[in-house]
Amino acid sequence: MSSGPSLGLFLTIVRPEEKAILAAAESRGVRLVRFDDRDVTFGLERPEGLPPVVLNRSVSHTRAVYAGRCFEHYGVRTVNEPDVLELAGDKVRTSLRLAERGIPTPRTIVALSPEAATKAIEAIGYPAVLKPAVGSWGRLLAKVDDPASAEQILEHKEALPSPIHSVFYVQEFVEKPGRDLRAFVVGDTVVGAMYRRSDDWRTNAARGAVAEPAPLGPELTELAVRAAQAVGGGVLAVDLMERRGELVVHEVNPTPEFKALQGATGVDVAGRIVDYALEVARR
Amino acid sequence: MTECPTCAASVANDEKIVGEIFPCPDCGTELEVLTTAPFAVETAPKEAEDWGE
Repeated sequence: MSSGPSLGLFLTIVRPEEKAILAAAESRGVRLVRFDDRDVTFGLERPEGLPPVVLNRSVSHTRAVYAGRCFEHYGVRTVNEPDVLELAGDKVRTSLRLAERGIPTPRTIVALSPEAATKAIEAIGYPAVLKPAVGSWGRLLAKVDDPASAEQILEHKEALPSPIHSVFYVQEFVEKPGRDLRAFVVGDTVVGAMYRRSDDWRTNAARGAVAEPAPLGPELTELAVRAAQAVGGGVLAVDLMERRGELVVHEVNPTPEFKALQGATGVDVAGRIVDYALEVARR
Repeated sequence: MTECPTCAASVANDEKIVGEIFPCPDCGTELEVLTTAPFAVETAPKEAEDWGE
């Protein structure tokens, strides 16, 4: 076992990202203390032997937030901080924050009932996009093409058990050129960016989009860093779309996957994350 | 070597680590490594609504 610095890794499952983080830590002589989010318990007293910083990589947003709060209670820094997870994990709060910071983002209206959502969709115009306020991987996104599909989709959403599905996040449909952009921000630096190409209007890597490296132009890097800092900063994947010649930020992901980006760009993203966590530990 | 809990195919541990998720080479079921010595797997946890990035 290494006698070097230690970091915590809070996780659910070991995806290629976590495997890469484990390897990056080992190559740096960093001892990684694993916390399995299905086993760990948190009392009110601080346990002994905690690492100074925990990388919060739980795949469950809920578990990540509550664990983050518990580590915070123990005086342990987390990457990312729970405030960041809560804000960036909620599309409504993210949009509000982006707008407050003057960061270009797709036109968005929030409604709290199906009737109000109908009005919001009419105001945005067809096609519109309906997204869950909390969710990922393109899950339960709907492109609303006309009033008939709006009625059907809203009825289905209302029938879903979780009250979060009765928060209606309506966004303009951006006619993007068959791709969107993801910039990976670590601290105040964009470490890499990729295009995600897809025939589907949802360009999530989880939905099979093809990744290609994207140049780190000044508009992209400036916007991505501003968006990451707007939600509190840390390790964040900023998703952008090209809208009529300008870039708009549509999501900031607080527990980002990076297998596709690392593969497309050759950037050692895992190593940059571990280095950043070590830097946080030294602060 | 162990067995896939779904199809009983032989599954080898080629440098996998505890917690790693991988598909059964025969039936495609997502499996999770429980232990490496001895090598043991179970069906991976099902994706929940709050899973993601």
